[in-house]
Amino acid sequence: MEQLKELLFGLCSAAGTPGDEHFAAQQAKKALEPYCSDVAIDHMGNVIGFMGDKNAERQVMLDAHIDQIGMVVTHIDKDGFLHMAPCGGVDRRVLPGAPVTVYGREAFTGIVCCLPPHLAEDDGKVEPVDKMAVDLGLTKAEAEQKVALGDRILLSGRPCALLNHRVSSAALDDRAGCAALIRCAQLLSGKPLTCGLTILLSTREETGSQGAKTGTFRVFPTEAIAVDVSFADQPGVAGHKCGKLGAGPMIGVSPVLDREMKDKLIHIAKDEEIPYQMEVMGGTTGTNADVISTTRSGVRTALLSIPLRYMHTSVEVVDLEDIERTAVLMASYIHHR
Amino acid sequence: MANIKLLEQLCALHGVSGDEEAVRDFILAQITPYTESAVVDAMGNIIAEKKGAQPAKTKLMLNAHMDEVGLIVTHIDSDGYLKFAPVGGIDKRVLCGRSVVIGGGVPGVIGAKPVHLMGADERGKAVPVGELYLDIGASSRQEAEKAVRLGDTVCFAAPFDTQNGMIRGRALDDRAGCAILIDMIQSDLPYDMTFVFCVQEEVGTRGSRTAAYQVRPQAAIVVETTTAADIAGVPEEKQVCRLGGGAVLSFMDKGTIYDRAYYDLALDTAREAQLPCQIKQAVAGGNDAGAIHASRDGVRTIAVSLACRYLHSAVGQIAQEDFRSTRQLIMKLAARIAGSAQV
Repeated sequence: MEQLKELLFGLCSAAGTPGDEHFAAQQAKKALEPYCSDVAIDHMGNVIGFMGDKNAERQVMLDAHIDQIGMVVTHIDKDGFLHMAPCGGVDRRVLPGAPVTVYGREAFTGIVCCLPPHLAEDDGKVEPVDKMAVDLGLTKAEAEQKVALGDRILLSGRPCALLNHRVSSAALDDRAGCAALIRCAQLLSGKPLTCGLTILLSTREETGSQGAKTGTFRVFPTEAIAVDVSFADQPGVAGHKCGKLGAGPMIGVSPVLDREMKDKLIHIAKDEEIPYQMEVMGGTTGTNADVISTTRSGVRTALLSIPLRYMHTSVEVVDLEDIERTAVLMASYIHHR
Repeated sequence: MANIKLLEQLCALHGVSGDEEAVRDFILAQITPYTESAVVDAMGNIIAEKKGAQPAKTKLMLNAHMDEVGLIVTHIDSDGYLKFAPVGGIDKRVLCGRSVVIGGGVPGVIGAKPVHLMGADERGKAVPVGELYLDIGASSRQEAEKAVRLGDTVCFAAPFDTQNGMIRGRALDDRAGCAILIDMIQSDLPYDMTFVFCVQEEVGTRGSRTAAYQVRPQAAIVVETTTAADIAGVPEEKQVCRLGGGAVLSFMDKGTIYDRAYYDLALDTAREAQLPCQIKQAVAGGNDAGAIHASRDGVRTIAVSLACRYLHSAVGQIAQEDFRSTRQLIMKLAARIAGSAQV
C-alpha cells in the first residue's frame, strides 16, 4: 500500500491540464516503463503502453484519463493580475483565496483574489471564474515576461495521507485511475499473457474526451475497460446517488456499456472475494467509456469507477484500498479467458 | 535587517486564538537571551523588558499578536466527520476546498459537494459554515476520536513562498508583526522599551487588554497587518492600502481613534528618513490598539501596519520591501517616542 501511495502521490504532483498533460504524461510513462515492452506518447499527448501478445486475437485496452481540471490564462490586466477561463469543470466555490500554481516560464505561486471579511459584502456570492483573477505580485510588464496567454493554472494542494489508507489531493480525478492501471500492469508483469494488453492514459477527458477518442482509434482493441472516478458518499449528497468510499470499485451498468463484460467482472469479483459495488446509470456515463465504445466500428466497453469525495476540488479524497482492488479485479479479468 | 527566515519559522507554527503555546514557546526561545525579563502572564501574553542604551523618557510598549484566525472542532458525527466553528472573522467563501491541520498534527480537508451534483442556484453561492465539515479519513466516530478531540483547533495548511518580491504565507496576520518585534529585541536599542506578544486578538483584543494594564505604558505602538484591497476589480478609492506602498498608518478604525500627534510624528519620521509610508484609506477593521488606548487612564497609541492581501484566509501576501521599510520606520518611530518626555 505504501508503494501504491508513492505512485499515486507522484502522479498527482505532476501537472496536467487538458491539452497540456506533458508533466503528468512523463511521470506516468516512467512509472509504466518497467512493466511494458513499449511505452510511447502520441501526438495527442496520450501515453500508450503495451504488454503481452501482439498477435493474439484478444486485445484488451485499459483506459484512464491523465488530465485534470484547471484554468487557463486569458488576459493580463493593467495591474498585472491574470484573468482566466475554466479548463474543465472547475467548482468556482473553492477558488476565492485559494493558493494556485501558474505554469508560466517557471512555476509561480499565486493566490486567487478575494476581499478580506473586513471589507467584503456579506452576501456569500461567489463570482463566476471569468470575473476572478490570480495575483502573482507582478506588474503588467513583469507578468508579460513570465506568463503567456494560454498558460495553465492549477489549484495547489500537496497530496496528504488521511486516516484509513485514505488520501487527499488535487488531480485524483483521474490519477487514481492511472495509478490503478499502472498497478494492474505491475500485477500482470512477469507472467506471460495470452492476450495483448494496451494501457491508454488519455488526454483531454475534461474537455470532451478527445484523447480517448483518438487513442482508441489507434489501438482499436477487441474490448476495453475505462477506469474513472465516481461520487462517493459525503454529507449533503443523497445515498442513492453515490458509492461508498472504501467499499471497492464500482462496476458500471448502463445502456452504453457492454453487459457481458459487466457480468464477467461481477462474477470474478465474487469468485475472488474482491469487494465491489454497482453503479447504474440510465444513459451515457460522462466518462471516456462513452467515446471508446463508439470508436471505428465499435468496441465492447466496461466501466470501473473508483469512489471519490469532493470531485473537482483541490481536496479530492480516495481510499487506496479501492485503487488496489480495482487493479486486482482488472488483472484477474485479463487473466480470465 | 528584516528577517524573512524568522518570519517563515513563525508562519509554520500553529496558534489559533486561545491555543498560542507553540508560537509563545518559539518567541520566548528567540528573545530570552536579549531581554532583561520575559514573563508569561495569566492570559498567556509574553511581556518582555528590553534594556536600551538609556532609560526611556516615555514608557513605550510595542505590541504584536501571536494568535491567528482558524477553526475549532465542535462535534464529531457518527460517520467520523468533524463539525467546527470559526475562531475569529473568517469569510465562508475561503473555507471550501481547503487543506487543514487539526490539533497541531492531523491532516484534514474541507470538502464540497461535487459541482456535477449541484443545482444551478448552488453554483454561485458559498456554502454556509454550518453546512461545512472536516474529513480526516475516519469512517466512524470512534475512529475519529482516536485522532482528534472536541476543542482541538484547526489551522489552514498553506505554502510559504517568496517569489517575485512578495511573501506569501499563512498567519502573516500577525506573525509579520511578531517577526519585526523579535528582530528589534535582538538589536541594540537606544532606549528601554517593553515588548508584548499578545494572545486572543482575533476574538476581541483580549490579551492586549490585560497586557496593557500590567505594563502601564505611556505610549504604545501596535505592529499589525491590515487589509490591502489593491486587487483586480476593486476601484482605487476602495483599495484601502497597497502592497509596495510602505508602512500603513491609521488615523481611525472600528476600534480606535489614533493619537493625532503620534500620527503626525510617524509621517514626519518617514519623510525625514525617506521611508515610504501610506495612510489607510478606510475606517475598517480593528486591532489591539482598541484595547490598549483605553487602558487605565488612557495610552497614547499608534498603529503601524503592513499592507496584507487576503487577510483571514488560507494564505496572505505582503511585499518584502514593505516588510523591510516598516521595520525601519518602527525602529525610528519607537526611538523618537521613547526619547521624548511627555509634556
